[in-house]
Amino acid sequence: MALNILVVDDSAVMRKMIIKTMGMCGIPLGEIKQAANGREGLEELGKNWIDIVILDINMPIMNGEEMIDEMQQNPEIKDIPVIVISTEGSSTRIERLKEKGARFIKKPFTPEIIRDKIYEVTGVGEGDE
Amino acid sequence: MNEKINNVISKVVTETLEKLAFMFASPYELEDLTEEDPDTGVRVSFNGPFSGTLGMKVSGEVLSEIAVNMLGVDNEDEVTPDDKNDALKETINIICGNILPAIGGKEAVFNIDAPMIILEGEDMKGGDGEKLVSDVKLSLDEGRCDLVLFVNGEIPEVMEEIE
Repeated sequence: MALNILVVDDSAVMRKMIIKTMGMCGIPLGEIKQAANGREGLEELGKNWIDIVILDINMPIMNGEEMIDEMQQNPEIKDIPVIVISTEGSSTRIERLKEKGARFIKKPFTPEIIRDKIYEVTGVGEGDE
Repeated sequence: MNEKINNVISKVVTETLEKLAFMFASPYELEDLTEEDPDTGVRVSFNGPFSGTLGMKVSGEVLSEIAVNMLGVDNEDEVTPDDKNDALKETINIICGNILPAIGGKEAVFNIDAPMIILEGEDMKGGDGEKLVSDVKLSLDEGRCDLVLFVNGEIPEVMEEIE
């Protein structure tokens, strides 16, 4: 099963790095969509079938937490798994994101951490090794 | 200078450059002195239990290598000046995001502003009322990486052990 993934981060370099990393670690990739903030991310979710959202937190216009809140208000997209990849170091904020259903990866990350977290939320890859 | 904070910054920068750009840093020694001082810089301000500014300057070769490795391209020609600035901003963002909980504690909530590029020839300086508490210099194969931390008010205690 190829995964359609939306990568939301205001840094174009970080988006490219995340996409490159996912390709390197053997994740079956389908279509990859990109957005530079939460607002653009919601627009992409409205136009495309997305299996996972990879989301930064600190972004202009609409931050990652606000995007998660908006997603939870929309029955059509509220169940899409969200993996937050962020520099956030506060356990207080991280717990708040987890309570909203998001998984969390702290930057800097290794390819294995991204792979394992994607496998964990999708079940893809289990038993493949 | 605060030796504990210097150690925290050195460890965080070393780990970040290794994971982010596959680059290996070590403490700067006088015999590492290169002719080229770091000339490309970025700074980021933050506030929370304490506020301040983190600044970083790198040599041109270091910046190119960070951007090339983050983007996973084969040579520097494929990297634009915007890519380099973006890579530098993302790097200091990650470093700052890892330094603050190590100093202020994992439960502390900080707000980190958008990083700003330091113009060529401009010094790394803090905001009004901020005092220099840490000055770290690291050596890499490609050149040097200098960091400074300015804090407003009391110098915080280092609360967390870096894993």
